[in-house]
Amino acid sequence: MKTSLLTLDARTKKRNAAEARFKAYGLSAIFVAMFALLILLTSVVSNGLSSFQQTFITLEVALPEDKLDKSGVRDLAVMSRVTTIGYAPVLRDALLAKLDALDIENPLSNRDLGNLISKQSAATVRDRVLANPDLVGQTVTFDLLASGRIDGYFKGAVTMESAALDGNTSPEALTIAQALADVGVIETKFNWNFFVWPDASVQRPEAAGLGVAILGSLYMMIVVLVLALPIGVASSIYLEEFAPKNRWTDLIEVNISNLAAVPSIVYGILGLAIFINFMEFNQSSPLVGGLVLTLMTLPTIIISTRAALKSVPPSIRDAALGVGASKMQSVFHHVLPLAAPGILTGTIIGLAQALGETAPLLLIGMVAFVREYPAAYTPEAGLFGEAATALPVQVFNWTQRSDPAFFERAFGAVITLLVFLLIMNAVAIYLRRRFERRW
Amino acid sequence: MQSLTTLLFVILALAVAGYFLAKSRALQVAGGDIRGLVSLPSQHALNTVLSTVIPPLAAILLISLYLRLTDGNGSWFFTLVVIGLAVTGMALSLIGIKQQARARTFAERWIMGLLIFASTIAIMTTVGIVLSMLSETINFFGQYDWRRFFFSTEFTPRFQGDSELGILPLLWGTLYVSFIALSFAVPIGLFAAIYLSEYAGHRLRSVAKPAIEVLAGIPTIVYGLFALFIVGPGLRDYFAQPMGFGDSAISVMTAGLVMGIMLIPFVSSLSDDIINAVPQSMRDGSLGLGATKSETIRQVVIPAALPGIIGAGLLATSRAIGETMIVVLGAGAAAKLSLNPFEAMTTVTVKIVSQLTGDTDFASPETLVAFALGLTLFVITLGLNVFALYIVRKYREQYE
Amino acid sequence: MEDLTQMDRAMSTQQDIKISAKNVQVYYDKNHAIKDVNVEIADKTVTAFIGPSGCGKSTFLRCINRMNDTIDICRVEGDIRIDGEDIYDPKVDPVQLRAKVGMVFQKPNPFPKSIYDNVAYGPKIHGLSRNKAELDEIVEKSLRKAALWNEAKDRLDAPGTGLSGGQQQRLCIARAIATAPEVLLMDEPCSALDPIATAQVEELIDELRQSYSVVIVTHSMQQAARVSQKTAFFHLGNLVEYDDTDKIFTNPEDPRTESYISGRIG
Repeated sequence: MKTSLLTLDARTKKRNAAEARFKAYGLSAIFVAMFALLILLTSVVSNGLSSFQQTFITLEVALPEDKLDKSGVRDLAVMSRVTTIGYAPVLRDALLAKLDALDIENPLSNRDLGNLISKQSAATVRDRVLANPDLVGQTVTFDLLASGRIDGYFKGAVTMESAALDGNTSPEALTIAQALADVGVIETKFNWNFFVWPDASVQRPEAAGLGVAILGSLYMMIVVLVLALPIGVASSIYLEEFAPKNRWTDLIEVNISNLAAVPSIVYGILGLAIFINFMEFNQSSPLVGGLVLTLMTLPTIIISTRAALKSVPPSIRDAALGVGASKMQSVFHHVLPLAAPGILTGTIIGLAQALGETAPLLLIGMVAFVREYPAAYTPEAGLFGEAATALPVQVFNWTQRSDPAFFERAFGAVITLLVFLLIMNAVAIYLRRRFERRW
Repeated sequence: MQSLTTLLFVILALAVAGYFLAKSRALQVAGGDIRGLVSLPSQHALNTVLSTVIPPLAAILLISLYLRLTDGNGSWFFTLVVIGLAVTGMALSLIGIKQQARARTFAERWIMGLLIFASTIAIMTTVGIVLSMLSETINFFGQYDWRRFFFSTEFTPRFQGDSELGILPLLWGTLYVSFIALSFAVPIGLFAAIYLSEYAGHRLRSVAKPAIEVLAGIPTIVYGLFALFIVGPGLRDYFAQPMGFGDSAISVMTAGLVMGIMLIPFVSSLSDDIINAVPQSMRDGSLGLGATKSETIRQVVIPAALPGIIGAGLLATSRAIGETMIVVLGAGAAAKLSLNPFEAMTTVTVKIVSQLTGDTDFASPETLVAFALGLTLFVITLGLNVFALYIVRKYREQYE
Repeated sequence: MEDLTQMDRAMSTQQDIKISAKNVQVYYDKNHAIKDVNVEIADKTVTAFIGPSGCGKSTFLRCINRMNDTIDICRVEGDIRIDGEDIYDPKVDPVQLRAKVGMVFQKPNPFPKSIYDNVAYGPKIHGLSRNKAELDEIVEKSLRKAALWNEAKDRLDAPGTGLSGGQQQRLCIARAIATAPEVLLMDEPCSALDPIATAQVEELIDELRQSYSVVIVTHSMQQAARVSQKTAFFHLGNLVEYDDTDKIFTNPEDPRTESYISGRIG
């Protein structure tokens, strides 16, 4: 009957094995989660980093007066009659001259050779010329965007084999591009313009940028901050400090915790029905987007603000009341400043959530193709009333394009978005660490 | 738009003027010695500013609501009313400045009003959601038989009309994707939470916890992109095609798997809270009887935490049902009733997006169906949330 | 041989040493909580640990079934033997040890299960029964020993959390007895109970003495005097005095013990 403690019986061994198995399940669950994160991040980075680089062709472009300025006196009205289509041959001729000078064999037709240069480049040169008519007649050096296929070739997305099947390029074109790259005429370099340029049409993925989207997201964040923070703080103060415990406040509380769990797309429907159809605000405008995101973010801000207010010990309130301050004064002079770091942290996290939100914005028309930078205020459209897109919506937009060159840009936009979120969260963590108080 | 901006500037100017007028008048009343005043000059000034600003702003809100409802246009009359309110408010509060006047009490009443107004915005949001969807849904059912909406097994909207708009295939896709997502997320999230709270050493916890939190902070569009370009093709090339399940990259499995990853942190942080709420004394009791840790967890901690864990599961379900971007990019747009998880199917949220974006005619049933779908989604998720929050709250109270 | 020890025990319960501790030190991180404790605890006896709060009596108790292992920062040094076997030997599995050394806690902590399942929990995990009938028997015997059978027999399926405080604590005692331990550790088992429930549990402890070596931590000197035969007085992590209960309460040797008994410290 007596068993020694020093020997393990069979049953204990079995139970210890079960214990080890259980632990292994737990550990593997954690590793699955971390592995998923790793795959997610590496695939985003590896697919998206190349979008920050762009292929450029450096050409000395002769700007002939007979083609670009029929008037001969630099009359802008006459000059602007030459469209971008008129500029394309000028660029192609510059490229031909370059090939001749470098002694590179050119089996391509003129049209196919012109396809090495992005259609956007003609517009860029035209804008430069119209801005400075004196350039006509001179030979000017331009860094011209290469077309999407050439760009893809230098990034490894387009190969000789795929080019052979592609109507937009050919192996011969790639050979020429390679020869130009070997002598340094074609270069792939960091492209700031990715963050500045607006979106571009399907034919010119190489010119598509995030400018409008970043601006739109920024406007919306301003709207959210200006509306959600004061409203959230005010309603938290009321609910936490003043509200009597009755059915009405119970209803508000239940309501807030439910609103926090309502699917975001429902807010989109709300925005469409109330702000656009009923109040007739402009579709696609950052104002409507900001309002929708404000309503969506409010519960988050209220919940974290109330937690911050709750963590201020009652003794502070008592102390203020004790020297004759009113309840309102004790809250605004003492409790609120002490809760401020917590409130700010919660607000930043709410903003970060809003920045990444996509679904509701699709419904209020922010998927539209927008190339004009939206103004913050115009008398016609009002405050933040001009059409814009937003970062996450731009990502969605690019996934819907037929040209795969946009996919790289979608990942690039995701990296940009994640960097913004990282910064916001880092600030939130810093605030929490810096001002965290233990009572 | 322009006249409104001007109006706002006028009110602002009046407020600034009121501030200085009130201050100087208070000093004047006090005869240079502010100790004679019951309220400080700045409190009088605050009261004047609030009295000048709040009534006209409230009036602007009400008037614009009225104009929207009646489709009317702004007129000089309304402008006069608004400015009149501002001037009256300012004048009354200025006249009210006396030695014995309790300006602080008045100012605090205004502020309290603002606080209460702010707290009702949450209620107004809910009312707005319900009303906006309800009215359009009623519109929809005026044009389309509700029995066909709820019982038809086809969803094939057509531009020229005569569409079949049954919700069943959409619900099926929604539930199928959610089911797959939860069968990944719940075990993984739960086990991760258990391991982190009961076993993990400091070092692992300091790495794994933030990593899982990072997963929670990633926007859903990123998960959607991940599904569309990485997981979908991967599943197709390594599972679906070799095993003969089909050759679609976007599928229920793709969306479900990625949504599962998205839900892991959600499930694990909720479970973590719930597991930690089980009192230590209960664990001690079991360990003291010679149970191993895993026996304690499986037979004491989890049964004790079960209601909370079920609540967490329901909240996760509601999340999965309402998730949009992952299914838009990962699950497809074809409404289908199929059992094969490697086939593309569609969900309620996908159809809400597709029916409300693009060129839409707000009178056609093909567009209005989105509101009926939205309302259905709202009712389902609301029910799940209310029930889950109720369970979780009851559970918490039990151990408080 | 077996018979001989049985007879031996019947003749003199005091002589048989069940637990012996030598030079035991316990550290919480840097804090030295137990300082060099030496004690020998007899079988079939109730031994009481008394002392002011924070004196280390509970900590020492938790060393005896290695419950301190569950606290990360806790470190135990020295030598604790049960029946001559070092329980901190690396070969010892704490799980097996705790089956032998049961524990009852300060606050009644029944599992959120039925009364029956609470008592059957230990036997189930340790595999003490071959079938349902045997398990039923163990449950009944344990509940009887814990003086709960008459109150609980008609509602074995009711949740254990539905019992009154005193009943819950007796349920926890039954639960501990059900694993057939040899030592029963009790950490202030009556501190959360009202006087009537306390009296019932104390009566029970006295009966348990016939089968087990019982070690009880208490902050009530009256309780120690009522239920124990031996008493150890702890103060600031030291074992100040250890002797027959009568002697400790009537004629303590150490002045600190005397001041505590007479209410001057603590």
